[in-house]
Amino acid sequence: MLGYLTRRLALAVVTVLVAVLISFLLVHATDGSPGAIVLGPGATPAEIAAKNAELGWDRPLVTQFLDYLGHLLRGDLGTSIIDSRDIGADLAARLPVTGFIALFATVLSGLVGVFLGVTAAVRGGRFGTFITSSSGVALSLPVFWVGILIVYVLSIQLGWLPATGYVDFADSPIDWAKGLLLPVLALTVGGAAIVARTANAGMRDALQAEHIRTLRAVGTPAWRIRYVHALRSTSVPVISVLGIQFIALFGGSVIIENLFALPGLGQASQAAVSSHDFPALIGVVIVATVVVVLTNLLLDLVVAALDPKVRTA
Amino acid sequence: MSVLPLDAADDASTQVAPPSSRRRLLPAALRRPGPLLAVGWLLLVVLLSFTAPLWRPYEVNDQDLANRLSLPSGAHWLGTDPLGRDLLSRIFTAGAEPLLAAAVTVAVAFGIGIPLALIAAERGRRVEQVISRCTEMLMALPSTIILLAVIGVIGVRTYVVMAVLGVLISAAVYRIMLGVAQSVRQRLYVDAARVNGLGSLRVNTVHVLPAMATVIAVQAAQLFGIAILINAGLAFLGFGPAEPVPSWGIMIQDASGHVYDAPWLMVPTGVVLALTVVAANVLADALAGKVAHVTAPARSRRPAPVRVADAAPADPAAVLEVRHLTVSVDDGPQLVSDVSFTVAPGRVLGLVGESGCGKTMTARSLLGLLPDGVSVSGGQVLWQGRDLAGLTEKQANGVRGREIAMISQEPMVALDPMFSIAYQLIGPIRRFRGVGRFEARQIAAQLLRQVGIVDADRVLKSHPHQLSGGMAQRVCIALALTGEPQLLIADEPTTALDVTVQAEILSLLRALVRDTGLSVVVVSHDLGVVADICDDVVVMYAGQVVESGRTAPVLDDAAHPYTMALLGANPHVPDGAPMPTRLASIAGTVPAPGSWPTGCRFAGRCQFTQAECTVPFPALPAHGDGTVLCTRVHEVHDAGVSWHAERAGAELPPAAGARHAAEPTPTAGASR
Repeated sequence: MLGYLTRRLALAVVTVLVAVLISFLLVHATDGSPGAIVLGPGATPAEIAAKNAELGWDRPLVTQFLDYLGHLLRGDLGTSIIDSRDIGADLAARLPVTGFIALFATVLSGLVGVFLGVTAAVRGGRFGTFITSSSGVALSLPVFWVGILIVYVLSIQLGWLPATGYVDFADSPIDWAKGLLLPVLALTVGGAAIVARTANAGMRDALQAEHIRTLRAVGTPAWRIRYVHALRSTSVPVISVLGIQFIALFGGSVIIENLFALPGLGQASQAAVSSHDFPALIGVVIVATVVVVLTNLLLDLVVAALDPKVRTA
Repeated sequence: MSVLPLDAADDASTQVAPPSSRRRLLPAALRRPGPLLAVGWLLLVVLLSFTAPLWRPYEVNDQDLANRLSLPSGAHWLGTDPLGRDLLSRIFTAGAEPLLAAAVTVAVAFGIGIPLALIAAERGRRVEQVISRCTEMLMALPSTIILLAVIGVIGVRTYVVMAVLGVLISAAVYRIMLGVAQSVRQRLYVDAARVNGLGSLRVNTVHVLPAMATVIAVQAAQLFGIAILINAGLAFLGFGPAEPVPSWGIMIQDASGHVYDAPWLMVPTGVVLALTVVAANVLADALAGKVAHVTAPARSRRPAPVRVADAAPADPAAVLEVRHLTVSVDDGPQLVSDVSFTVAPGRVLGLVGESGCGKTMTARSLLGLLPDGVSVSGGQVLWQGRDLAGLTEKQANGVRGREIAMISQEPMVALDPMFSIAYQLIGPIRRFRGVGRFEARQIAAQLLRQVGIVDADRVLKSHPHQLSGGMAQRVCIALALTGEPQLLIADEPTTALDVTVQAEILSLLRALVRDTGLSVVVVSHDLGVVADICDDVVVMYAGQVVESGRTAPVLDDAAHPYTMALLGANPHVPDGAPMPTRLASIAGTVPAPGSWPTGCRFAGRCQFTQAECTVPFPALPAHGDGTVLCTRVHEVHDAGVSWHAERAGAELPPAAGARHAAEPTPTAGASR
């Protein structure tokens, strides 16, 4: 168990380093020129070169990389070449917005998906077929389209919730929650569908397992067989999918933040891409990788806690 | 643009089809209405998109300013956008790019993933480890964000960006394909091809790749859908074709701005995009053969048994009396017909016969644990004055474990792998004996010692995967004893165990019968087991009892030709006799349910068959209180004719012969 954890931890660290290297190389090794971007199309080559030198981009690549790593280890992600803001502080302020959306959407997807998938497996018949086929459709829908549909139905037709507008938690927790509700719902449609499929397949496999007959042969009540024994073995694939969902939702937040005008990481990365803000791009990649890696580590721990075969290996 | 996980955990999609079935499988999987519609829609979208310049009613930038944001009309079948441009023309003109771009992603992902998987599967563990570590890392990268970073650096170059996406996804493709490639390579025919000197490339292209075709098709369809979503998502964010070139993403972005004043605008583009992705997924599901298998699971819809009240009183000397038991597939053939036997207190009864003779169905019907779609269609199972065959599921659950318990064939999979042994024993003990958790644990340890486990405390803390087969079977027996039952049903209790362990488990069963007065029904194909522990024996053939009685007379002086044949297939070699080069078997196979002949069901394989054997006849008394079901029993048995065991078949023991893959031909002690 300890060896397993050490190995996962080492892989996590290496993964973050690789992400730093990849994004660094991507920006530096291609013909990216921050000087040209900062000064705009009217600048002369000499001006651009001077600006690049000022930003330190004329130094050897290795020196620049080691310099960047040194700053990174001190938690310094550099400054934007567009508006000179501190990238680390900016992303730190945006992280909670995206984090909470992804977290709430994952939790809601888990609850709805497990309920639907398990019920479909237990009840079977037409209801089961309906759930499996409609979740097949739901997970194919583009999230931005679902978002618009939800805005149309919930805010415009029914007038229940504001369509857009983010309010800081510190200003009004209730309005903060209201502002997150529609984006979370939009992400949950596809997320719950994927979880429902996994839970359904897992539960059906579990209920057909050989040991279920042993349980029946000692008169174990049906609810106990379903909701203690079968659900426990279904939990391992479901938890794995939820982890993947969290990661996917985190990345997918770009679209939902664009649609609902939320000041999260996704919005920052879209802005960095549009303005070719190279330091900000690297910063976003690093933060996202750290989130993914931490999620995977947590996932490993949870699966180890759930599955005795992993735990005792 | 959430990156959907490829269904890595989905075992249905990783099942490997042997190459021979491939050609027929594809059309069959698609011959249902859903998949047909999906294929039709995909073809239609591809056709309309790539030919749009030829047929579109308007040029993409023709502005009909009088009809801005119009609903569908004769002039504009799908309506118009805020500039009065025709939606139908724009949607399908925009379709070519996402379709091509998604194809690029799929091609790159598989172009990298499949060769890597083939190499890893072929070159052994070290290469596989290196490649797997690298792909794990690739999979841990936030692909959406990296994709955006690529756009930030190189600009909007759709096909390059989608190729990068293919590289990122190739890690997931590799992981799925590696599993498939490894399992294909372990197959015998691939081994044979390698031994025959086929080169690596040819082995891969001729044998491995075709066997992977179904999985590749499934994953490709799924990935195609994902790539279309991502392409549209990027366009939605403004990282697609620039206005005025139409794209699905930007058209939906447009619609989101008019959701208040022109909600219709989001419908046509969204529906075309969604339908295309849905079609790709439906296709993937159909190829994986999933949706079709949604069947109703165990809903106990046991038909209310219509029975003639049996006037005959229950045999006072019996704990269990099975009378004329018939088990059938619902609306299908009989699996067990008219089986009767009794079990006396403290005695062991053996049900013996080849695979497919209905032994296990008979045993399972005693506890109401028949598989879905199979039920008792006639007869009675009399247990302490009640007919178990007529109980509701709830009533039957009260009998299970408490009065009748069961141990099954495969101890290694009979226990729940997710829970400790202690948990699995304590639950039933508390339920059956109404004791607290602490006391239940003590009883559990005591039961484990009773079944011969010395370090009971350590076993209690273990999980099933930490136990050996023999140990697991002892735990299963302990579990069966938690409710202090009077009858134990043991379905092939030793078949899955090592030879030395088999003997231990049998002597444990014998000791339990001696010490607790338990009655046991043993299902076995092994006459050695029957001779070893059974007091009475019931020989079954094709769903019928063909001979029954005390074990000693039945085995020493078999009256039915089938029993004789079973004994004749006994590979025991007398002391001093030379080892036979070929082992005996019974020619032919057990007829399948539904194709049983009238008259004697064994007639097709019997050496003594005559015309009279094809006419139905009743069972005759034999061996004191036993029976025999043979119309020629007097001519055959009483005249002392003996069965000529054929030295037929393969030189392997019957267990490995081709005829009975699932269960060996009964052999006395062949497997012991």
